[in-house]
Amino acid sequence: MEIQWSLVLFTALSGAGAWLVACAGLDAFKGLAKKAVVPAVIAGIVLIVVGGIASATHLSHVDRIMAVLAHPAPGIFLEALLLGIDVVVAAAFLVLYKRNASEGVLKGLGIAAVVMAAVFSYACGSSYMMSSQLAWNTIALPLGYLGTALAAGTALWYLLCAVFKEEAAALSFAATEVLIGAVAALVTSLAYGFMAGVTGGDSAVLFWVGVVVCGGVVPLACGVFGMKKTDGALPLAVVAVAGAFIGSVAFRMLMWIASIALMSLFGVGI
Amino acid sequence: MARNCIVVNLDRCTGCFGCEVACKMENGVALGERWSKVFTVGPVGEYPDMTRYALPTMCQQCENAPCVSVCPTGASYRDANGVVLVDKEKCIGCKYCMMACPYGVRSWNVAEKCAEKCTLCGHLTSQDKLPACVKSCAAGARFYGDLDDPNSDVSKELAKYSEGDIHTLQDVGNAPATRYIMTSMIGQWQDRIAPADHPHTAAYPVAE
Repeated sequence: MEIQWSLVLFTALSGAGAWLVACAGLDAFKGLAKKAVVPAVIAGIVLIVVGGIASATHLSHVDRIMAVLAHPAPGIFLEALLLGIDVVVAAAFLVLYKRNASEGVLKGLGIAAVVMAAVFSYACGSSYMMSSQLAWNTIALPLGYLGTALAAGTALWYLLCAVFKEEAAALSFAATEVLIGAVAALVTSLAYGFMAGVTGGDSAVLFWVGVVVCGGVVPLACGVFGMKKTDGALPLAVVAVAGAFIGSVAFRMLMWIASIALMSLFGVGI
Repeated sequence: MARNCIVVNLDRCTGCFGCEVACKMENGVALGERWSKVFTVGPVGEYPDMTRYALPTMCQQCENAPCVSVCPTGASYRDANGVVLVDKEKCIGCKYCMMACPYGVRSWNVAEKCAEKCTLCGHLTSQDKLPACVKSCAAGARFYGDLDDPNSDVSKELAKYSEGDIHTLQDVGNAPATRYIMTSMIGQWQDRIAPADHPHTAAYPVAE
């Protein structure tokens, strides 16, 4: 199957945006970051919206999109609904943060942001679980969507903390989050690779170099170094973001390239 | 609800491609697009126990149609007669139905930019006429009707054969309604054939 770039960008950008908001929300519990929270939430909202717009570009009749509202069961509706809820949660968090709302309220919204990021990024992958697509019909696929989005989102948060020169404790904690995201990306990507049988053959380079090394090992190394040493966090964060995004995009490209139809009797390309 | 479908008796099918042509003519299916396709399965096996047969394919009218459940707008739907159809006015062109179809028997209408497929010639059957592929079948191998109606053409034809001679395309939970009749006279029914193992045969394609 051809790579559907609109959908690759949608889930990569929106997923990373959702996890960026989640990281900012999580900070409500630690209170470590002082300057990065507002830009992170704004950037997260922008990424989620831009991703959503990207997804619409693969439709041939966008003008009929409102019909989706009349048919709320399928995955596309769920993705759109979760995307909308995530933006609302992020916007509410932003407004209340700016208005110095109580700690409890911000913590509550922070939890909501984390839950939404997990559910949304998982749901984006679960839409592709179809019995007709042999390399997609495994729970490792949506988990991979979740893991790679988590790595990209946490790396972005680390980058913003570094750009806004947050204190050492904030940078160290952000690096820990990158480490967690990288481990999630690594574990879920490897699980998908082996379960779907895409670790060898034509997909091998994309999988091992793009997904595993760039998307998992690179941010993992950045996270480990960043936890120990907070000086020079910016270059580490840039590398972590680059690696995580390459991995996230490569994972989604791999899904399309490695698709195996149960049967494709008419041989119609998608 | 009725289970209207096509039944093909492969013992009779000559692989003439007449059904494929009739479908295109009746429904105005554009060049390069198709709602119906005849495959040649095999030859497989070792001489003298070899199998080769024609396999006409089209929408299998699945009871648990994945194309209907994934469609975000309800453009893919099941009508009052139980027939899986596409309302092209509602299609947004997301192609999820094409990905979800276990057999890849949906078509992409390039001019209208939407998905479409075999309609079982509803415009004809609603006037008590037969689908074009059934009417045109020179070998009398194709039948149309309701599987739940014992007096339908499909039920009468199926009743002539034992269960072991009645087949469906590989069922992955979608429960295809279309039945294929094939006895040992023709050979052994093939659920799927990996092209790599049989490079010289036109078989079921399993990958794009």
